[in-house]
Amino acid sequence: MGTTSEKNWEPKIVAFLCNWCSYAGADLAGVSRFQYPPNIRIIRLPCSGRVSANMILDALRSGADGVLVSGCHPGDCHYISGNLFARRRFALLNNLLEFVGIEPGRVNFSWVSASEGEQFAEVVKEVTDKVKKLGPSTRLVKRIG
Amino acid sequence: MSTVNEKITEKIRSEAQRLLSTGEVAAFIGYEAGSLPMSVRPFVARKQEDASRLVWNSFCVLNLANYLPALLKSFEPPRRPGDPPPEGPLPKVGILATGCWSRNIVVQIKENQVDRDRVVIVGVPSRGMVSARKVKEAVGERDIQTCIEEDHSLKICGEGFEQELNRWDVVRDNCKTCVHPDPVIYDILIGDPAGERQVQDRFAQVDEIEHKSLEERWNWFADSFSSCVRCYACRNACPLCYCPTCFVDDSRPQWVGKSTEQTDTMLFHILRAYHCAGRCTDCGSCESVCPVGIPMRLLTKKLNKDVLEMYGSEAGMSLDEPLPLTTYNPADPQGFVLTEKSEKGGDR
Amino acid sequence: MSNKKNQQGNTGALSEVSGSVLVVGGGIAGVQAALDLADSGFYVHLVEKSAAIGGGMSQLDKTFPTNDCSACILSPKLVECGRHLNINLLTLSELVSLEGEPGSFKAVVKQNPRYVDPEKCIACGTCAEKCPKKVVNEFDMGLGKRKAIYLKYPQAVPLKYAIDAQHCIWLNKPGRCGMCEKVCPSKAINFDDKPTEHMLEIGSVIMAPGFKPFDPSRLDYTGYGRLPNVVTSMEFERLLSPSGPCMGHMERPSDGKEPKKIAWLQCVGSRDINRACHGYCSSVCCMYAIKQAVIAREHSESGDLDASIFFMDMRTHGKEFEEYYNRAASEGVKFHRARIHSVLPSGENDNLRVRYAGEDGEIRYEDFDLVVLSVGLEMPQQAIELAAKAGVSLDADKFIVTDPFKPVSTSRNGVFVCGAAAEPKDIPQSVMEASAAALEAGRILAPARWKDTKKKEYPPEKNVYSEPPRIGVFVCSCGINIASVVDVEAVTEYAKTLPGVVLAQNNLFTCSQDTIDQMEETIRKEGLNRVVVASCTPRTHEPLFQETLRNAGINKYLFEMANIRDQDSWVHQNEPEAATEKAKDLIRVAVAKVRGDAPLPYNSVKVTKSALVIGAGVAGMTAAVSLADQGFPVTLVERKDDIGGHARKFYRTWQGNPVQDYLASLVDTVKSHENIDLKCGVSVKGVSGSVGNFTTVLTDGTELKHGVSIIAVGAGSFKPDSDSRWNYLYGKNPNVHTLLELDQKFIAEDSSLSGINQTVFIHCVGSRVPERPYCSRVCCTHAIDQALKLKELNPDMDIFMLYRDIRTYGQRERLYQEARAKGIIFIRYDLENLPAVTEEGGNIKVTVKDPIIDAEVELNPDMLVLATAVRPKVDVHDLAKFFKCSIRADGFLMEAHMKLRPVDFATDGIFLAGLCHYPKPMDETIAQAQAAASRASIVLSQDEIPAESITAQVDPRKCTGCAVCTEVCAYNAVSIDEATEKAVVNEAMCKGCGACVAGCRSDAITLKNMGNEQIMAELETIMDNW
Repeated sequence: MGTTSEKNWEPKIVAFLCNWCSYAGADLAGVSRFQYPPNIRIIRLPCSGRVSANMILDALRSGADGVLVSGCHPGDCHYISGNLFARRRFALLNNLLEFVGIEPGRVNFSWVSASEGEQFAEVVKEVTDKVKKLGPSTRLVKRIG
Repeated sequence: MSTVNEKITEKIRSEAQRLLSTGEVAAFIGYEAGSLPMSVRPFVARKQEDASRLVWNSFCVLNLANYLPALLKSFEPPRRPGDPPPEGPLPKVGILATGCWSRNIVVQIKENQVDRDRVVIVGVPSRGMVSARKVKEAVGERDIQTCIEEDHSLKICGEGFEQELNRWDVVRDNCKTCVHPDPVIYDILIGDPAGERQVQDRFAQVDEIEHKSLEERWNWFADSFSSCVRCYACRNACPLCYCPTCFVDDSRPQWVGKSTEQTDTMLFHILRAYHCAGRCTDCGSCESVCPVGIPMRLLTKKLNKDVLEMYGSEAGMSLDEPLPLTTYNPADPQGFVLTEKSEKGGDR
Repeated sequence: MSNKKNQQGNTGALSEVSGSVLVVGGGIAGVQAALDLADSGFYVHLVEKSAAIGGGMSQLDKTFPTNDCSACILSPKLVECGRHLNINLLTLSELVSLEGEPGSFKAVVKQNPRYVDPEKCIACGTCAEKCPKKVVNEFDMGLGKRKAIYLKYPQAVPLKYAIDAQHCIWLNKPGRCGMCEKVCPSKAINFDDKPTEHMLEIGSVIMAPGFKPFDPSRLDYTGYGRLPNVVTSMEFERLLSPSGPCMGHMERPSDGKEPKKIAWLQCVGSRDINRACHGYCSSVCCMYAIKQAVIAREHSESGDLDASIFFMDMRTHGKEFEEYYNRAASEGVKFHRARIHSVLPSGENDNLRVRYAGEDGEIRYEDFDLVVLSVGLEMPQQAIELAAKAGVSLDADKFIVTDPFKPVSTSRNGVFVCGAAAEPKDIPQSVMEASAAALEAGRILAPARWKDTKKKEYPPEKNVYSEPPRIGVFVCSCGINIASVVDVEAVTEYAKTLPGVVLAQNNLFTCSQDTIDQMEETIRKEGLNRVVVASCTPRTHEPLFQETLRNAGINKYLFEMANIRDQDSWVHQNEPEAATEKAKDLIRVAVAKVRGDAPLPYNSVKVTKSALVIGAGVAGMTAAVSLADQGFPVTLVERKDDIGGHARKFYRTWQGNPVQDYLASLVDTVKSHENIDLKCGVSVKGVSGSVGNFTTVLTDGTELKHGVSIIAVGAGSFKPDSDSRWNYLYGKNPNVHTLLELDQKFIAEDSSLSGINQTVFIHCVGSRVPERPYCSRVCCTHAIDQALKLKELNPDMDIFMLYRDIRTYGQRERLYQEARAKGIIFIRYDLENLPAVTEEGGNIKVTVKDPIIDAEVELNPDMLVLATAVRPKVDVHDLAKFFKCSIRADGFLMEAHMKLRPVDFATDGIFLAGLCHYPKPMDETIAQAQAAASRASIVLSQDEIPAESITAQVDPRKCTGCAVCTEVCAYNAVSIDEATEKAVVNEAMCKGCGACVAGCRSDAITLKNMGNEQIMAELETIMDNW
């Protein structure tokens, strides 16, 4: 596990993207050649409604310096309402994590549609910048041994 | 002149006696006196003679709803998977319920853990329960031999001391900030309804934490939770925790390690609280039973605050309203979403 | 008609009837029609004149009233269409001729050269990047530029480049450029490509040529073409679009600055006989202008964009439109009832001054940064020519002629029409008609169903359960698209080291046919049982590779993709090392994921091939006959003792066709049809089962087994007798009637009507009020038509229309124009100043404030007619509960998706039609019923319907039966089993979204191949070595 003193430290960001909007938006960023930092690893899921608090916490526990969850805009969900149920779960988790002292910016949420390639790139830049400023994650990280 | 609680005790006994003797209920969940001062223990009266053992005082801190699903189940004939549900009416169970306990029963009914038709709820408006820990602190941690309860005071006696405490001063924090002391559902009501209480800062404790800096918050929680021994007393006392395999015991998937290392402990408490989101009635059982005094109620209280502020919902207030995480409003707040400029909600 | 009971055989013997259909036009209407037909057993040739399907909808930014992203909801349909085994997509093509008879037409279709081999093009875009020739981009309405070799738009289907022959340097002067050919990594450029002619044998034809936005350059008053900051609504749509010329940043043309104040001018090219030659209303402009105003305000950086809409009548007559209008107004969009005089330049900075007359006639001026012209819809010239080739008649407005009782049939037998080519209309109406046209096109070919379709056969699948993983990894260079950034060789070597991997190879183009063939062979030869392809996005290529696995005898779910192009090499072009490391990570995760994947069954559900239709009004009867004619047994259930519904009270359609004659023949057909079992006086008591296999119990105890259900229970009408707001003497004075009551007088040929001297109509009685916020859609047209009928009976009758907005949408506007020409007087009122109705000695007195003269007007009519609201039925709630479908707050049933699934419910196998969906006139009701029948036919035409394989699965040992999963499931696929008190998943209904999994606290429900443990393993693998 790196420390802040390491000059070459680059954040590791895990992204949970819904297949129908945000993953498509990420593809469109590629098609349009919008460049963004290579610090992100995408896990493709059917819907942002598939993302549970446990999964987000597990990403932190596994050592991700940042987490991004992105789904369809409210109203656009391919599964009608998955993102709307998820939005409540995310809002509560987001507040709870901040409450116990997890830095705002470690866990991020966005709505990116299939036609928002540039927005996807912007979101990744924004999240990467934020996490870089925060430095390596130390809270809720599982220390091995 | 008997105290309010003594009068309630009498009424509880007579109602329980009636319910048991007529066979209306097969068992009645209440409290009996404990062997130590300030202690009571949950008690299931099964015969009408048992009714006289029931007591009611300011130390009835455990949420009796916790015992309800299992007791109901115990009266069902054993069945293998695939067997049809038993025919004919099943025995009923009587239970005491204050405001928060009744709200827990509402949640249990909504979550199919309790069949409303099989419960006789004896409602008791709550006057607030006393924290034994606060009493001990108030008497300087001296050994307490007796505690005599009046309506508004507690007379504490021990080796070489006698001290009178103002009852409200030692009432539990959750009770002090409770706005719904009356049962929301009941079949029989004992005592006078207290009415909705006006509480200035229901979430003062949460606000206090929120005003700390991020570093302070993390350090405060990390420190407060560091003494956790992972005994799971908090979980066991919670009427919302009824999964056959708790996530802390599950190895497939294993979301949380079993050690008392910081991450494992914090994750355990965060997830436990999160599982109660939108369901917790702030009954305080978790904190009351914690052997090391961890303030885990703060997490659920924070969630309660957010659920109320964002979704206008309080757990168990009505049988008709869906639980907040099983519903949504297109206009739910989403200011936390990076791509949303405005706080105002979402159905664009 | 009644003698010929089963009409399915009347188009000739089986051998003569073709099982193929030609669909002309690849917009949303054509695409929907093609999908419905191809899914229900017909082979479809879909002809599209441009290089990609998608039509006008693909150019839109958002869609009203849900503000859905247009591309997001459209793309999946286009992709489905593009890879459908039974849709032959002919792009760059046009119909040359059509000969023959229904059942056996011969069509000649000319396909223009693409100059790019679609088999080879990998849509990498290198050609367009290097092409030196810039061309005005018509997809962006001329606001941006594209190259002479181009992709129509980023989500285009087919995703293949095309060369614009008109502008290509080489094609005009061979030998001069050829840059694309030089740089194309897959050698896809073919300058020698030639036009081809296809001779198609088909049984029926659907015309869906779509519309063209009105060109306002000939309307001098708008300033369009002279003033740079006057744009059309379609241009503004592109300005708003994130994939448009300014990436959704909303820049005005003159200086690229963000406008702070925008005006929308309505009815440009519509409702304008004098200047534009289009008398009709274009139906959609009011709503799209409101939508654009709302979205523009969201887009504006400061959030305080000043948005003004100048209109004559606000026509928000569709489902949820009125609410949308009200919301926009309350959020600050300004609405001005006005007539535009002219748009003038204002000052030096290209701002604009709008000169307009207010309702009071006073001339006013206001300045704006940008003016958007809400241009109408018109028939494109090509479509007019197409209609001639297809031999179908056009009306005076140049739209394709239809019949109100056969709303998708043209003047030529066997040729059908859908979408805006028959009359301007919005997307849901077009989609509805598309399904209706598919139904009609298929109905006459029913004997030839599945005759021309193709079916794919696969070898038996190898059982891999007992085998250790033998994973093959195929790393694609994608020409240089990946290889120029990612070190594919290093990545391939790395893949070989991963656990379970027995083979890793690098290919130039993994998706090329020869590599695919080789992959199939390698899987067999090397005994691979799991495959990872590291290339582009699974969203476009997963089906292709999964198909390869199936061809090689491997279950298609033992496959994963690592997206090392779209999400790696293309977005980290300047960081080759990081991109290479990322590619390794992505492959490592894909390999870990595929190790844990299990083979999944290709689920299907057996279908009971019969239908239940509930409600025997025009909608229910039409749906029943439409299905029965195709040979499907139908049970038609009607709560009342006789059938016909509302239509029994209607005199004529707005086009003037008598309703009662039509109704009588429809009733006759229903009663005598051998495939229809009519049950009157009963209703539904309970429903169980799901798509393909419902069991419904009726109140008479009958138990019905059926594969689909159509709900067509109609609506009621608002009676203003018990409501103090509408104290209009209804029920108290014998001369006060509702529209339907007056219709009954017409039907009865009541002679007293011609003796009436004065009639007053009051519109919007009970509609567009807080307790019933919707517009009832039908009443303006109905009332005006009645007024015209009264004028026929007594030309001297004085008739007053007290209205709020006249909503004679589409070609109904003609009636409004006629009414005014005949001297019928229109007085507008608003909700704050309702007309007052009093009675003196039995005489009716109506007072209303006329806003034009700003004075009270007193009227003394002999007859007062109230245009009362259409009201949803209360008992629909029971039905909704039985079928688990949703009801909106206003009481109308809620379809699965307001735009693209207008007759489906979210729950599969249940459809809706008619007034229970929303108020609508006869022609739209019939079209919707046909659409519902079309959707139902898709299920009924198959022995088994495919179901999702990646479904949720319950572990009963962990389940508490708390039912969170059932609450969050949008498809009612999860329920609590009564016996076990545990959750159970109905695999036929589960869509695999995983909402239940995330909602479950007990980890008792999981998603196959996407369970929590698998996701945790992915996370762990990502973090390992990173």
